[in-house]
Amino acid sequence: MAVRNLGRNRIRTALAALGVLIGVFAIASLGIFGNVLALSADAELGGIGDQVIVTPNEDTGTNSLTVRDVDAIARATGGDGSAVALRTDNALISASGGQTLGQVYGTDTPGILFTAAAGTIPDRHRQGAIVGAAVADELNLDVGSAIEVAGARYRVIAILESEEQISPVSPNNAVVLPESAIGGRTYDQVVVQADSGAAATAIADRIRTQLNAREERVSVFELSSLLATIDEFFSLLNRFLLGIAGISLVVAGVSIFNVMLMSTNERKQEIGVLRAVGVHKADVLRVLLAEAALLGVVGGFFGAVLAGLAAIGLVFISPIGFDVVFVASNGLYLLGAFAFGVLICLISGAYPAYKAATLRPVEALRG
Amino acid sequence: MNQTSPLGSPSPAPELRRQAIALESVVKRYETGGETVEALSGVDLTVQTGEFVSIVGPSGSGKSTMLNLLGLLDTPTRGTVRLRGRDVTELSDRERTRARKASIGFVFQDFHLLETLTAMENVTMPTMFDRDRDATDRAIELLSRVGLADRTDHTPNELSGGQKQRVAIARSLINEPEIVLADEPTGNLDRDTGATILEEFRHICDGGVSVIAVTHDELVSEYADRTIELIDGVISRDK
Ligand SMILES: Nc1ncnc2c1ncn2[C@@H]1O[C@H](COP(=O)(O)OP(=O)(O)OP(=O)(O)O)[C@@H](O)[C@H]1O
Ligand SMILES: [Mg+2]
Repeated sequence: MAVRNLGRNRIRTALAALGVLIGVFAIASLGIFGNVLALSADAELGGIGDQVIVTPNEDTGTNSLTVRDVDAIARATGGDGSAVALRTDNALISASGGQTLGQVYGTDTPGILFTAAAGTIPDRHRQGAIVGAAVADELNLDVGSAIEVAGARYRVIAILESEEQISPVSPNNAVVLPESAIGGRTYDQVVVQADSGAAATAIADRIRTQLNAREERVSVFELSSLLATIDEFFSLLNRFLLGIAGISLVVAGVSIFNVMLMSTNERKQEIGVLRAVGVHKADVLRVLLAEAALLGVVGGFFGAVLAGLAAIGLVFISPIGFDVVFVASNGLYLLGAFAFGVLICLISGAYPAYKAATLRPVEALRG
Repeated sequence: MNQTSPLGSPSPAPELRRQAIALESVVKRYETGGETVEALSGVDLTVQTGEFVSIVGPSGSGKSTMLNLLGLLDTPTRGTVRLRGRDVTELSDRERTRARKASIGFVFQDFHLLETLTAMENVTMPTMFDRDRDATDRAIELLSRVGLADRTDHTPNELSGGQKQRVAIARSLINEPEIVLADEPTGNLDRDTGATILEEFRHICDGGVSVIAVTHDELVSEYADRTIELIDGVISRDK
């Protein structure tokens, strides 16, 4: 019955449904867009969020970190993460495939920071070279190849995964050697791999209070708190986008209101007949609300479908990956926008429907 | 009053038992913009079961007003409306709707069929919101009784005026009412078509249903058992 009533004025009905469609589409697509933005930023920046980088503070005359500093930092992690002391250098890396200038890290425990794509990273790094993906690619290296770093020869024992994330200790253009390969008894930096972003913040605080008690010996760099700010920004952005989209749905609601008002006015007599033959107010109300809900369901459904397609389209026209598009929270936006569309329709259909249903039958019949 | 029932009998007087609907000293006033129009000023009317009553009178004399009160579509300003002896003046909207559905059928001057529904669906429309009830068989029977057995799937704009009115009559009978009310049922029909409609009403009355028809059409009086003339809100003639 509701379907046929809506079919009577097809253009008006179509326009109203289109309004809902656009509103739902706007909400769902802007919501998903903001969400995808936040998620891909998280994916890009996630790696630095749980690392703390400690470097000597040259402003106070500290040029390197001593073994005591490293021990102090390790104690400060308090079991929430692992500290890796690094010696860093730049050196010419050569192999039969050519040569390149790259970063050299010296550490005994590279397994904490890096993951191997080929070969294995030993628990304690005593000999051999672990090569970053870009270096391996450029010099055509495999596990077992021979390379020369700053004049010394090494055998490649592992090649690292290519690291997509932005990270303070990027291994792509680096060679990781045992600690002893780089001379000296001090360290250039300590990287703490924390268990979580919150742990990183806590560790950074502890390092600051313990090592910098008397003077600013070390600089402590951690991005977890910055990351929290970025997250906050994205959630604000998202709410802003949803707000704009919400306005468009409210506009659609006004048009539904208008459609319902006009159609109930036109059908006053018909409603009067229904009431005269003994149809209860509640049933008239139900039919009219069903019409409004139907508009919402149809418009909302297609709006959500379009928004879903748009989100998939985003994958093809931008560097955004499927992994951040196909997540439960995006589905929630689709569902939420759809539900909100139906709700808006019901709300804006409610008043005209109520008005028409409660009209006294005589008045309704008079038209 | 005839005195056929013995004194002290618990059963109501026969004329009460046969009473379909009655108005007792009914007054109806309309308030519009500070002005009060008295459309009915003290009307008494009793319609018996199976009686065909026609109501005539000049325009504005209160005929439609009276029919609305009889049809429980409106409430009187003063006086009482009785449906089969039961006072229905003070009923709530719910009860009134239920009473209307159970006892009263309506036929309107401009038919008031739902354009989107077929003849069949229009006839079953009053039962549409009943759960577990299929009125299709009865609708088919009613439609063939008014001679439209072959038009069940037509929509109103595929039917002639007379056919539409016969669909409306079938609709008014779907709930087996005791009373059928008709406001100008032949007003939009030519004389011959009107005659068939009146014929139809005559059949309905013979089936024990009261018909009350408001009309300008003198023809109606030929078919009616009783004609009531209303002038300025009072019954001036009843024969
Ligand atoms: N809703 C209303 N509000 C105000 N006045 C009304 C209303 N309905 C009817 N009236 C007045 O009541 C009087 C009786 O009206 P009613 O419609 O009953 O007349 P009628 O006999 O049916 O006339 P007609 O033959 O033209 O249909 C008229 O004076 C009319 O103006
Ligand atoms: Mg009238």
